[in-house]
Amino acid sequence: MTIIILILIVSLALYTLSSSDLLHGVIAMSAISLLSAILFYILQAPDVAITEAAVGAGVSTVIFVWALRHSQRKDETHE
Amino acid sequence: MSNKRSWSGALQTTLTIGSMAIILLPIFLCETPWPTAARDFLVQNGQNESGALNLVSAIYLGYRAFDTLGETIVLLVAVIGTMGLLSRVESLITPIDDEGNTIQSVSAFSLNNEKRRSHMLRTHLLEVVTGTIGPIVLLFGFYVMLYGHLSPGGGFQGGVIIASGIVFLALGNQQDRASALSKSSTLGGIETVSFLLLLLVAISGIFFGKGFLGNPLEESAYPVGYFILMNSIIGMKVGASIGAMCIVMMGGHT
Repeated sequence: MTIIILILIVSLALYTLSSSDLLHGVIAMSAISLLSAILFYILQAPDVAITEAAVGAGVSTVIFVWALRHSQRKDETHE
Repeated sequence: MSNKRSWSGALQTTLTIGSMAIILLPIFLCETPWPTAARDFLVQNGQNESGALNLVSAIYLGYRAFDTLGETIVLLVAVIGTMGLLSRVESLITPIDDEGNTIQSVSAFSLNNEKRRSHMLRTHLLEVVTGTIGPIVLLFGFYVMLYGHLSPGGGFQGGVIIASGIVFLALGNQQDRASALSKSSTLGGIETVSFLLLLLVAISGIFFGKGFLGNPLEESAYPVGYFILMNSIIGMKVGASIGAMCIVMMGGHT
């Protein structure tokens, strides 16, 4: 179970780096935070899991989406 | 050109993996057992000395309270900086359409001051869902905050959940039932008062002979009361500051 979650986290992180649509990257980072929260819970650290779920998946996603609204969403240099 | 770029990318990747290996390999390869003295001391004495079932909260409010104070000040400074930057940004980006009129249309995922014409086609799904779920999230945040000494959680975690609840309420109830919690001036007042209270509680240990950030109730029957008080003050402060920051970001500048 831990290994599956770790593989998912690494693959989502690679997708975040490579995606040209920044909103998809933000959603993938939110999913990374959610998976990390599950991982922390499995590793018996529920305090850290609550923090990760609230800060990583909640507040930081709001801040990133706000930053995207005031800047560009798509990458224009490629393609 | 592309060949050169791919080479530099490969070089960067190799350097990153190499430096990570230099840092991480000694940890994996070393044979020394982890030091356990501090852990054993906390497991044996933590619950008796603090009265808190949740040892994490006993540590960050009792044994390592200076960390919590520093964390609170870091958050305060970060929020002050963000608000200072945002008050300039928001005056530059006013919602104006092509003819120069200020847009006041019905929209989602933004507060009243940040309306744009491109949002007119959105549905009200987000507002309905967040308006309904907001009070429940707020209640759960207060539970995590007030029961931080018994169950996983504590002031900071509960405060962030309260901030999510405040953002939900501000997003959901903007048409007719705007609450006082969605005004950033109210939230700023709550934050200021709770930081003052935090300092007062931190100083109060001095008068009982326990030192700065000491537990004044340590010899009474309920030493855990200090933890509940600290948790609720920190929760109010964190919730108010992060909630105010998010609300100012989304354009609620009142």
